[in-house]
Amino acid sequence: MLLVGVGYWVGLALFLSSCSSIPPAHRVTPLGKESMLPPRYSIVFIIHGDGGYLYHDVRGNAYRADEEALAKAKTVAERNTQAEVFIFHERRRRHLLLFFPLRDGKFYYYRNGRLLAEESYWRDQGQSRFDPEVELYHRFRAEERPELTRLFLYFGHEIPEFGGAGYDASYSKRTFTVDNLADELKRITGDSTKFHLIVLSTCFNGTPHSIAALAPYGRYIIASPDNLHLSYFDLGPFEQLDVGLPDRDVSAFAKTFAGHAFDRLTEDMQTAVTVAVYDVDRVQGFLHSVDSIYDQALTTLKGQTPASIEHFDCAEDSAYILPGMSGGVDVFYRPPRFGRLKHKQSHSGWECWRFLK
Amino acid sequence: MLGRTAFRFIVIMFVVVYAGIALGQDGLQKYFNDAALKVKATTDPSQKREILNTSFEKMSKALGKVQSSPLVSKDDRAGIELFKATLQEKQDELSGLNGYERVSDEQLDAFSDYVVQDMEQADQQITISVVVLLLIIIIVILLV
Repeated sequence: MLLVGVGYWVGLALFLSSCSSIPPAHRVTPLGKESMLPPRYSIVFIIHGDGGYLYHDVRGNAYRADEEALAKAKTVAERNTQAEVFIFHERRRRHLLLFFPLRDGKFYYYRNGRLLAEESYWRDQGQSRFDPEVELYHRFRAEERPELTRLFLYFGHEIPEFGGAGYDASYSKRTFTVDNLADELKRITGDSTKFHLIVLSTCFNGTPHSIAALAPYGRYIIASPDNLHLSYFDLGPFEQLDVGLPDRDVSAFAKTFAGHAFDRLTEDMQTAVTVAVYDVDRVQGFLHSVDSIYDQALTTLKGQTPASIEHFDCAEDSAYILPGMSGGVDVFYRPPRFGRLKHKQSHSGWECWRFLK
Repeated sequence: MLGRTAFRFIVIMFVVVYAGIALGQDGLQKYFNDAALKVKATTDPSQKREILNTSFEKMSKALGKVQSSPLVSKDDRAGIELFKATLQEKQDELSGLNGYERVSDEQLDAFSDYVVQDMEQADQQITISVVVLLLIIIIVILLV
């Protein structure tokens, strides 16, 4: 009897220890004839799911924002027959029977509508936060060509501008800031051209600091300066880039996408809806003129508890009302239906920080 | 026999810990969503107001109890304070207090959606640890 018991535990221990030593769960499909065609579009999705991402629709149905975003990203990947699509899903770390960690990143690579590679990976390998993602990107990417239209989309909670500890629920001491994201974009783009469009499907990243940090790596940026509901920006216009973005007019596409996302969000949302398109070249003047004011505010607020500071429309502070504030920014805004700001009729497209009144 | 008991214990612990984490993380959103569903299920405006008021009061009471516990950290206490203030604003708006226009009877369904959506968004700004969230939800359940 004792032997049976010991054998049982030894077997279980062997099974569990094997979980962390098996090679990464992956599958790679060789390139077929169709997949050999050089893509016209290169799209990178990063979907953060390591935190509280539960939301409900108006019928009371519950959704996980990251799972929904992943499903939509896959649809985009499958419907674009002239694109290469990288999807990185950053998941919450889970443990088998409480003790044995499971891989917490999932990578998908599509080429011309076909899933060619799928791989699980550890997110905490490497010195820099995005080391695994950057390595996978460079391993699979198609050859660089000047006619390639490059698009980058990030889905998650507000990317912090300072501090940044606790962004990942699984790694409470690990920090993540918008400067880390900029560093990742730098390593992805390398010496090649910028992304034509960066989409931040997050809350409160339409700020002078966030836009300035990402500006060197994107020609146009779409972000929400205010709260953004977890149903995120609708990806409909991305599903057929051959139709929506046939002539590389990214400026027009960005505005169409932002308008579409705004319309979808305002259908069901009672909270504020704000979507802004930043023409990076045209907002440089404003960014330079408010750079020191904004950085000074950030320095003052560093170390403060979230309960003592708040976001606000930069246009409410005269220090930010400078020539060029509205140049290069297209803002789609509807105030909240309830609350103190329900009569606020416009938004500058720039969000700032201050101490709570 | 001992091995089987230990194995069962591990499995039970596994289920309890994960269920607890899930309840702590998602409990607040579910709580307000349940209230919104109840609001929409009734046609009587006074009942709608009562459902919303009760949900606010019960949550405020639970937050107060947890906040006064000596086991709660300073950071959690600050998060709870911010959460309570957000909740109080909703309650004031529902009743038309502290400078708010009273939410009209026709808008009560939409207001219940606003509460759900705003709380889901506030969850991203208000930092309260999972253990404390779990404690809040347990107290809310016990207050029924």
